[in-house]
Amino acid sequence: MRRIVDNDLLTLLIRLTVGITYIYASFYKVIEPGAFAKSIWFYHMVPGNLINLIALILPWLELVVGLALIVGLFYRGAVLWINLITVLFIIALSTAIVRGLNIDCGCFKVGKEATATAWDALIFDIGLLALTLQLWFSRSRKWMLAAK
Amino acid sequence: MIKDAVIILLISVIFGLGINVVSPRSIPYIGKYRSLSSSGGPIVPPDAEEGDPSFIAIDVAQLEFDGSDVLFVDARDPSDFECGTIQGSVNLPFEYLPEEGVEAYIDSILGGVTKDHRLILYCSGEECDLSLHLGRNLQILGYTNVAVFFGGSREWEKLGLEIERRVNCDE
Repeated sequence: MRRIVDNDLLTLLIRLTVGITYIYASFYKVIEPGAFAKSIWFYHMVPGNLINLIALILPWLELVVGLALIVGLFYRGAVLWINLITVLFIIALSTAIVRGLNIDCGCFKVGKEATATAWDALIFDIGLLALTLQLWFSRSRKWMLAAK
Repeated sequence: MIKDAVIILLISVIFGLGINVVSPRSIPYIGKYRSLSSSGGPIVPPDAEEGDPSFIAIDVAQLEFDGSDVLFVDARDPSDFECGTIQGSVNLPFEYLPEEGVEAYIDSILGGVTKDHRLILYCSGEECDLSLHLGRNLQILGYTNVAVFFGGSREWEKLGLEIERRVNCDE
């Protein structure tokens, strides 16, 4: 088990997969912070006056963490963040589903259709968490700009 | 690890807050969002603008429903409308407004009410913009007494108020 987790190639592949996923996910949010702020608002989780600050910073955090994972800079910090953010998304989606919120923010869908979307996102994020946990436990430090 | 994490956070904060200064799509650093979890007062969407229809809370909507001469208008698609809507509402789906003859179309759906008749628009809940868009359009067409109940059918149903179901959508 240890040897599989520490496998250099596996770790690299997961770094790339997770990194690209987060960079891709950050794109529209970086470009449209206003729309992202509204998405956060829908979750009913954050105090109103903090929403815009989160909408401005979180997408950049995703982008920087994604890049850091891929190139292997500030690596342990990036791994910590990627796990925290993924867990945060899982919590947010779970509470949204439990409370029956429509969080598909095109935002013209209602009811079951939207719940299915939230479920899809939740399942995706749980899969992602399995990958980020691998990065957490892997001791592989190959192919990194600044391996410690 | 913690040092790396702090550096990453600092980079993100600097870029996130910095680029917002020059971005054409910048937003205020401190948003004015009403917390949805607190009770009292109407839900107002963050992109509400000056001159928008007034926003009313569920208690006001309920009072008007019980009392005065008012028309409730569901702005969602017909399929959503049929699954469950506020009792006695008419369906004016914003996304299906015709390109031509929109005024006559709206007039027929609203049953030929006068332009100053009280209209309360809603859709499913705070995540849905349809009622607001419809309200803006109705104002442009000259309707003067338009309000948006942004809590929508979900808040209405949550409080156990009357819901009219034309089709059974529960599986």
